[in-house]
Amino acid sequence: MTEPKKKRLTKVLDHLQHEDPFSKGVAFCPGCTLELLIRFIPQVLGNDLVITGTPSCSAPVLLGQNTATWHKLSYFGTLMTGAAANATGLVRYYNRKKIDNTVVCFNGDGTASDIGFGNLSGAAERNEKFIYICYDNEGYMNTGIQKSATTPFGASTTTTQVGSKLRGKNLRRTNLALQMAMHKIPYAATATLSDLDDLAKKLKKAKEMKNRGFCFLHVFAPCPTGWGLAPNMTIEACRRAVKTNYFPLWEAEDGQIAFTKTTKKPKPVSTYTELIKKFSHLTEKEQEILQSDIDYEYCLLQGLSNIVGTCQLPD
Amino acid sequence: MNSKTESNFKVMTGNAAAAIGATLSRPDVVAAYPITPQTEIIEQLSKFHANGELDAEMITVEGENSAMNAVMAASLAGGRVFTATSSWGLVFMYDAVLAAAGARAPVVMVNVNRETPGIIAVSSGQQDMISTRDSGWIFLIAENCQEIIDTVITAYRLAEDYDIQVPVMVHYDGFYLSYLSEVVDVPTQENVDKFLSVLNDQPARTILTPGEQTGCGSHGILDGYVELRYKHCMAMERAKDKIDQIDKEFSNIFERSYGGQVEGYRLDDADVVLVGSGSMCGTIKTVIDDRRKKGLKVGLLKIRMYRPFPSEKLIKHLKGKKAIGVVDRSLAFGFKGGPMYTELKAFSEELEGSELISFIDGIANTDITKKNINKMIDMTCDLAEGKDVPEVTWVSYGPQQGGE
Repeated sequence: MTEPKKKRLTKVLDHLQHEDPFSKGVAFCPGCTLELLIRFIPQVLGNDLVITGTPSCSAPVLLGQNTATWHKLSYFGTLMTGAAANATGLVRYYNRKKIDNTVVCFNGDGTASDIGFGNLSGAAERNEKFIYICYDNEGYMNTGIQKSATTPFGASTTTTQVGSKLRGKNLRRTNLALQMAMHKIPYAATATLSDLDDLAKKLKKAKEMKNRGFCFLHVFAPCPTGWGLAPNMTIEACRRAVKTNYFPLWEAEDGQIAFTKTTKKPKPVSTYTELIKKFSHLTEKEQEILQSDIDYEYCLLQGLSNIVGTCQLPD
Repeated sequence: MNSKTESNFKVMTGNAAAAIGATLSRPDVVAAYPITPQTEIIEQLSKFHANGELDAEMITVEGENSAMNAVMAASLAGGRVFTATSSWGLVFMYDAVLAAAGARAPVVMVNVNRETPGIIAVSSGQQDMISTRDSGWIFLIAENCQEIIDTVITAYRLAEDYDIQVPVMVHYDGFYLSYLSEVVDVPTQENVDKFLSVLNDQPARTILTPGEQTGCGSHGILDGYVELRYKHCMAMERAKDKIDQIDKEFSNIFERSYGGQVEGYRLDDADVVLVGSGSMCGTIKTVIDDRRKKGLKVGLLKIRMYRPFPSEKLIKHLKGKKAIGVVDRSLAFGFKGGPMYTELKAFSEELEGSELISFIDGIANTDITKKNINKMIDMTCDLAEGKDVPEVTWVSYGPQQGGE
């Protein structure tokens, strides 16, 4: 009875070939998916990474304080405006000097989709040889829950508040992963913490593909504190986000878009939003608007995945 | 063998001189983004790169902010780096300019001076330099095309010196110098290599290396933050003597020198002095020669190193002069006088009675003419004679243009 379950776990653990370089206790909130992600990455890719990151939730842990850090990785504390440009400078020098390197530019959605989007786009256009990972918690969680470009329709944040005249974010989210895939980079993918085997494979693929150019991973990372989500439900939220197509899992390898997981009968998005307080004010009508945005994004992705093989990204 | 015989004279613009100076310094990583009047620098560097004369990683970034971020990171990884900007560009990269200083990244950047945003002006002025003067960078200002090429090379000696490790910005007047062609004695590669080779004998600086648990950009907290700031300020202080020493070594190899922090022109026996910087100093020297012929003891003190502020040198050379006119090509909003004048006023007591007045001229390409300089000298002489002279004069602007 317990056999199949054990087997699944082993499959994920097989990917963890390296030490967890982080201290056992770090300054993240209980249930934080960002913590799980940043611990997971070096265990899969190795401890010889250079992690670059911005002032954000990840900063106190990733970037250390004075001369001490909470991990054993090499790191570079960047500005939100220039994270991808910093990574560019590092890899250009390392590669020139033939210094073996895996630079992981690790940023939230505020940096990736808002203030640092220009230099993210620039680095992708130049096809710089590093891995950019956006952990998407749909807003500025560290500064106290403000909206970003990836905050979904209807979500309540401290800059999209619910009041008598306004009812949360009255705008649709952008699809960052698709935007990045359209830069014709070797590899772009989405991933989340409920599907660790999928995440590990994508990380490994990115490490391999980055020798040819820019690799982008968009990782859905719910924030229990900022979203009003129970700390023990963050992985469940990831799972439901995938099953409702709120956050579908796909990859674009050399421009060929393909789903890495499909749900035969996707559940309505309300089965996901019901877990989360930032959506608790949504009326049926507002749920429908959110659903239609999710449906549109999925339909678009399906269309793009259907043309696989009919056109090729030139070498 | 006299190294001089290997030199070659060429006619080139200030921008070309900057590009050649950078190329001769053999940078590992160059970031390029265009802005008037700097563009020719990156065009030249791109040409050298395409021809194989510049063996560097060339990053054609999507904006100045990324230019500074990219070279700062490459510098902290251990590379020699170069980029160039001007005005709007300097402002757009300002957070990264501050970060490069805080990280003590030995970046060398040329800033071709131009008026700053506020009023659109495609014209010269030092407002961009003044607006960023407290960034923690070392600022050097060049007067002519020869000094541009020499200062860019010198900047690497200063920035990468183990005792300094502070980024250096080389400033020169846009339009007046960026597009002006002059004869330049181009240093030979052999001599530049020799001049910079001193850096190879120093202890290795700390660099960011994969897999070696090295890092930068940590949060500076309380005493940790204060310690870094204090050490940075001390490094800036050390840069003063260091530039004087490097200037001497430069002279030994290249047979020309600039005086280090400041240059005096007919200064020692002068009664009245103008203090200036950049391209205006060429014109001021010409006027001084004219006035000296007529028996007036006037001299020039040229500020070459603006940050750190060469206080000791200024006091030493200006102490006891009858009157000093400070010429600013920029504004210190909220102060009546120009920025350099305002800073010199802080040393009034040490100047032992030397009177100071402020001249504002040459902003937005209003030429600092010989006529204007004569007027400044006349007013400074009036001050020396105890006459009533306004504290601040906008030399090219007055009641005749509409006044206040």
